[in-house]
Amino acid sequence: MASKANHHPSAARQRFGSDWRAGRITAWLTTVDHKRVGLLYIWTTLGFFAVGGVLALLMRAQLATPNENFLTRGSYNQVLTIHGTTMIFLVIVPILAGFGNFLVPLMIGARDMAFPRLNALSYWLFLLGGIVLLSSFWAGHGAAQGGWTSYVPLSTLHMPGHGEDFWILGLHILSISSLVGAINFIVTIHNMRTSGMTWTRIPLFIWAILTYAWLLVIVLPTLSAGLTMMLLDRQWGTHFFDPVHGGSPILYQHVFWFFGHPEVYIMILPAMGIISEIIPVFARKPIFGYKAVAYSTVGIAFFSLLVWAHHMFSTGLPVGLDSFFMLSSMVIAVPTGVKIFNWLATLWRGNISFDTPMLWSLGFIGVFTLGGLSGIFLAAFPIDWQLTDTYFVVAHLHYVLFGGSMFAVFAGLYYWWPKMFGRLLDERLGKLHFALVLIGFNVTFLPQHFLGLLGMPRRVYTYRPGGIWEVYNVISTVGSFLMAVGMLVFVLNVVITARSGRRASNDPWLADTLEWYTTSPPPAWNFDRLPYISNARPLRDVRRRLEAERWK
Amino acid sequence: MPAGVGRRAAVVALAVVAVLLVPAATAFAGNGGLLPPPAHSPNAHRIRDAYVFVMIFVGVVFVIVEGALLVLITRYRRGKRDRTQEGPQIHGSTRLEILWTVVPVVMLTAICGYIFYKLPGINDAPPAAAANQTTITVEGHQFYWLFRYPNGAVSIGTMIAPAGDVVHENITAPASEVNHSWWVPELGGKTDAIPGQTNHSWFQAPIGTYVARCAELCGIQHALMDATVKVVPRAEYEAFIAARAAAPGGLDVGKEEWQGVCSSCHRLNETYVGPALGGNPLLRDRDGIENLVRHGLRQMPAVGENWSPEQIDALIAYTKTLPKQKANGFQS
Ligand code: HEM
Ligand SMILES: [Cu+2]
Ligand SMILES: [Cu+2]
Repeated sequence: MASKANHHPSAARQRFGSDWRAGRITAWLTTVDHKRVGLLYIWTTLGFFAVGGVLALLMRAQLATPNENFLTRGSYNQVLTIHGTTMIFLVIVPILAGFGNFLVPLMIGARDMAFPRLNALSYWLFLLGGIVLLSSFWAGHGAAQGGWTSYVPLSTLHMPGHGEDFWILGLHILSISSLVGAINFIVTIHNMRTSGMTWTRIPLFIWAILTYAWLLVIVLPTLSAGLTMMLLDRQWGTHFFDPVHGGSPILYQHVFWFFGHPEVYIMILPAMGIISEIIPVFARKPIFGYKAVAYSTVGIAFFSLLVWAHHMFSTGLPVGLDSFFMLSSMVIAVPTGVKIFNWLATLWRGNISFDTPMLWSLGFIGVFTLGGLSGIFLAAFPIDWQLTDTYFVVAHLHYVLFGGSMFAVFAGLYYWWPKMFGRLLDERLGKLHFALVLIGFNVTFLPQHFLGLLGMPRRVYTYRPGGIWEVYNVISTVGSFLMAVGMLVFVLNVVITARSGRRASNDPWLADTLEWYTTSPPPAWNFDRLPYISNARPLRDVRRRLEAERWK
Repeated sequence: MPAGVGRRAAVVALAVVAVLLVPAATAFAGNGGLLPPPAHSPNAHRIRDAYVFVMIFVGVVFVIVEGALLVLITRYRRGKRDRTQEGPQIHGSTRLEILWTVVPVVMLTAICGYIFYKLPGINDAPPAAAANQTTITVEGHQFYWLFRYPNGAVSIGTMIAPAGDVVHENITAPASEVNHSWWVPELGGKTDAIPGQTNHSWFQAPIGTYVARCAELCGIQHALMDATVKVVPRAEYEAFIAARAAAPGGLDVGKEEWQGVCSSCHRLNETYVGPALGGNPLLRDRDGIENLVRHGLRQMPAVGENWSPEQIDALIAYTKTLPKQKANGFQS
């Protein structure tokens, strides 16, 4: 743990060795450096993203035309389940943890996370959990087939083989990994901020990661409980969810969604934190309404614990409950709107540069807004009775998770790549990547709203021929392959940048936060010395001071 | 920024718009999916109204936010300015924060208000004084829908309902089943069929044929688990259920079972989800088939677990009429 004592540069240098990036495989296997752990997270999640993406393309290929025979029934359901579970548990949640690991100590001026070994543990558990989850495909009877929500009794009494057990075990391991990581974030952020960095001077991304971590700590135990009951029902003859013996299938849904809804905010809040970092920098203005943005993060997190049954409107809850969950869900829309309006106000009278990180951020606002608005239909429960479990929901969740979280992740990758690797990703390829994904994304998912309204249920491996369904489905498939091409451009960009990318200075974007104060990439000990923090934009202060000295 | 980039951005924007227009245009032509399907029951009508009401607000907000985004990034783009030039250092405005908190609150209150205003008409069926009442039980099974009528009659795959009556649906599934969700898009929203629990819904529809689908992942043939709701004149409905009740083991019942239940996984002459059944001796063996459908076998669910003996009779009566051999002539 970094204590005040070794803030002296040479002492730090001695303790941390020369270069945190030196050394080959063993150095990576044994690392406890937060930057390395962060990068391990990011590379691993990008690998899983490729897996999840290929699974998605398989589904879209099957759905391109009616009565297709490419990937049917059980196989389709396996792919569907592992796609969703991978994207959520192996991509978005951990890649945000990856950003957090790399950035939190740098942004708050610390030498490392509070518990570096625990940090390494959380990464290795994550990798293990991912492997266990994916090995579900090789179990007898194939992978789990219940969707990422894995409702019972389908997933308990009606799913033979061990695929489902691998799924449960994988999620168990991933929960422990996230829990350990979350505790580490909380302790780090509470205790290791550099001098002067009060709660209203920490970067908004730190607010977001702190809230993310608290939410994980609150809801993961519920998931673990649910998974354990499920495993007991499957393997040890208990009857928590078995109606034949007095158990309750609805209980599982409550347990799952008490975790599951906060989970969606776990996936979006840090993404919004990334957006709140990037927009001011490229608009050359401070974030509009720092406190409003920070408090709305906390507000969203709090209310996210009170809305879970909006996923259960069709299960026959009493109208009173339906009404409560409609109202609480509407309440959440308000702080979400506050964030969007503050970002827009940050653009107002700015000096906006359209570098790739900014393009992804602006794309995020445009696309996420649609996802948020479609959520209002779903929160109004009588309307939800028409829309739930249709392609409308698939469209909604991709607008918020792909158009939201993943767009922000790409914004963050383009933005912090120079800090992570010392080279800037190529701007032309970056813009091409963005354009292809933005167009492909909308072509894929916009028509899915219409499909849902027309009556196409979700989680179907095929549909009957006829009418406009065929048109929308084929459009959607074309869009998904367009996105895939965009992702290949990203891979190309990464490869080219690694070979011949432009070298980055400490602060290539003229940013505001502390991670840009040190070299790109930072030394093992992060900082030689730190400025005193007197507001939320220390780097701007530093730049202005240098400017002033130059003209003296 | 050089003019070239601005132009490129414009081209990209145009391309996006063009691509988005394609589905939007198709959607406008006919009911392409901008609204819920045409409604044929008062509750479905009101849900559609509520959808339109929300759509108006959402549409306005969408246009404002996306419009503001486009205007702001065009108006305040860097252009020829230096990258380092800062905009005015405005840190916020409490009045604006209040404004964009209160306006959405008002809007969402209006939406919730309208929902509550429509809710009774969606939830509560018209009273007995206003219309004839009928109750039909809807049972979800892997992978078929079974309907029970007030006089004990049963049908599978097709619900026959009296036109103009308020039809109360008791929606459920046997305790050993999985979750399903009963959905007739033109007659209202979904109601889950949950094992061991009974949920309620209703409709009141004119003569017509309506598609029903299962909307909850329920296993390998979930995608094809649909049904038909046939709304017919009351006399016809009554004749149907009377005939059914009089001959619960009849050949038509058996045919319905074969087509609605067995055929979702079996073909006579080819392997489908399950093996080909043409020529299978079980099709002539009442006890054998009863055992099979009541208890299932490996991957095959116990599709007939709660069937009456007459329903089994009906099945065997029908399967006995099937060809004795596979079409290709080999005895299996
Ligand atoms: C190339 C991009 C993608 C395509 C084409 C795609 C496509 C699909 C398809 C076809 C389904 C199945 C729908 C159904 O039958 O219910 C699906 C489900 C899902 N997708 Fe994606 N997807 C993509 C990216 C993502 C990303 C980035 C995420 C995560 C943020 C994600 C999260 C999900 C989730 C959570 C489900 C629901 C799974 C379930 O219900 O079990 N997808 N996706
Ligand atoms: Cu939710
Ligand atoms: Cu079903």
